[in-house]
Amino acid sequence: MDQNTSVRHSGRKFQWALRGRVTILFVLVLFVVFFGVTARGFFTKISLENIMVSTALFLLLSLGETYVMISGGIDLSVSSMLALSGMVSGVYISSTYHGTGPAIGITLIALALSLVLGLAGGTFNGLIIANLKLNPLIVTLGTWGVFYGGAELIANGSPVGNLTPFSYVLGNGGPLVGWVVWITLAFVIAYAWIARRTRFGRYIFAVGANREAVRRAGVNLKRQSVGVYALAGLGAGAAGFLSMAHFQTASPVAGSDYLLIAVAAVIIGGTPLTGGEGSIWGTVVGALIISVLENGFVMLNISAFWQLVAVGLTTILAVYFDEIQRHFQIAQAARRNTA
Amino acid sequence: MDEQFSVRQIAKSYAGVQALQDVTIDFASGLTAIVGDNGAGKSTLMKILSGVEHPDRGTIVHNGQSVTIDNPVIARKLGIESLYQDLALADTLNVIENMFLGREIVTRRFGIPVLDERAMAQAAGDTLARVRIGLPHPKTPVRYLSGGQRQAVALARALYFKAQVLLLDEPTAALGPKETSAFTSVIKELVDSGTRVVMVTHNIPQVIEMADSIVVMRAGRIVARVAPQDTSEQQLLAFMVGSQETIEEASPQWIKTHQ
Ligand SMILES: Nc1ncnc2c1ncn2[C@@H]1O[C@H](COP(=O)(O)OP(=O)(O)OP(=O)(O)O)[C@@H](O)[C@H]1O
Ligand SMILES: [Mg+2]
Repeated sequence: MDQNTSVRHSGRKFQWALRGRVTILFVLVLFVVFFGVTARGFFTKISLENIMVSTALFLLLSLGETYVMISGGIDLSVSSMLALSGMVSGVYISSTYHGTGPAIGITLIALALSLVLGLAGGTFNGLIIANLKLNPLIVTLGTWGVFYGGAELIANGSPVGNLTPFSYVLGNGGPLVGWVVWITLAFVIAYAWIARRTRFGRYIFAVGANREAVRRAGVNLKRQSVGVYALAGLGAGAAGFLSMAHFQTASPVAGSDYLLIAVAAVIIGGTPLTGGEGSIWGTVVGALIISVLENGFVMLNISAFWQLVAVGLTTILAVYFDEIQRHFQIAQAARRNTA
Repeated sequence: MDEQFSVRQIAKSYAGVQALQDVTIDFASGLTAIVGDNGAGKSTLMKILSGVEHPDRGTIVHNGQSVTIDNPVIARKLGIESLYQDLALADTLNVIENMFLGREIVTRRFGIPVLDERAMAQAAGDTLARVRIGLPHPKTPVRYLSGGQRQAVALARALYFKAQVLLLDEPTAALGPKETSAFTSVIKELVDSGTRVVMVTHNIPQVIEMADSIVVMRAGRIVARVAPQDTSEQQLLAFMVGSQETIEEASPQWIKTHQ
């Protein structure tokens, strides 16, 4: 009885999960207001759509990267998986489509091809990291080269255009915000759901916090690792197809600008490099912050160089504030425990 | 029913270090305490019993049968729960998430197993109350907990799954006096209810007070086995550091019954 009350007594509900996210949501709102005031036409339909589409393409890389980084790893090969899967499905389309009809079948097969390829590439990463127990930074730096090299070989030196009309529709049409954004949103919801509602998702966090504890809890760590990197690859595969469909060209160097901002979005979104915590929704906000910055700068006619500087500085600031907040929370908890 | 739990001739080495050598112990019912100097091999033995490490040689007998404990899942299926020296908690997960780590309660939605947070919160409630160390809200990440509270989480995890054998590796090392006494009373209740407890500790007075049987290890070997009423702190310390040499001197009765 007595003990029961002591458990309930201290049962003040803390909104732990919310704390970090509120701050960056506030930063996003701040940037939106700033560019809304300073950049003419920022709040027009075309500008907002632009922001959403440009967010979608690299956000698909950031989703799986969030999993990888929460579990304490890093995947530098996501952009190269985008290039390889886009390239393969582009070559597939251009070699089977002969310019008649919308070619829905061919396009969907190309989409499936991209997804399977991304999944395979990610699984390959995961198998090497889990079985050879190698540092993920080194492994994915290696496969980054392998996948980009593969894309170059398949492209045989030149990008592929001349794609199907249906791929144009998927990349640039669709209700309201367009298919690219809807498809990305579906991925966001699925990845957020997996992270929060499944055992696999729970272990992503647990592995990042204490790998040995998870091992002793009897979880198959190899399968867990492979799953995480495979899902990073799957997102990259989707991004590969969609960026090909959006730009109507498959290029062996596609996505090379995305790696940095894909990782930055995860960090700005509140996932620390040390792993153990983070969230898909945080990453979404992080990605939006980057896109708003980039698009806002373009509208203000500020050079691309300054965009990079701004994204870099935002990332560093995000890490800094995160650190301050963590210290504050720990100090607060310590006070509560001694009280 | 044969409820025997014992190890026979266990040996284990790590790259050059002989951590355990010819270790044979019958764990009687009640509380068996294992004492010994740093590096004596106590944690290694506990890890072998919980399936985290594998012995190079030797057998483990559980309920009268020789068993192979390849991994922690098998240990749990055999009813062996562990509380590790380093606690093995995931810092960013909350109290309930840690209690159920690896054994989450799930429900099926459209055929997909989904975490059942409510069921886990409900199931955790009673057990958390039983460990008697005031815990903050169970949704608090464990990194915000004090040493004693973290200990309570690890103990609650072992309690919830109703162990037949409970392995404790220095469970009170990080606790204050109040928390230690709360902890020991929970362990005594468990022992009374029939759980076989194996406890590694450096707290010699505690050993003499609580244990039903004391095993002393030194440099990977068993050097003595005594009953608490037949020994003293001085004698135990002498065994631990090696100034009192052989098993024969310590406990003739034990040699007789175990040969
Ligand atoms: N993973 C490992 N790799 C290499 N050597 C190890 C490993 N684990 C333990 N050892 C060695 O095995 C011996 C026994 O270690 P163990 O942890 O079992 O000692 P202990 O009795 O639990 O000591 P303590 O009282 O300090 O906890 C020590 O010499 C230790 O250095
Ligand atoms: Mg030890």
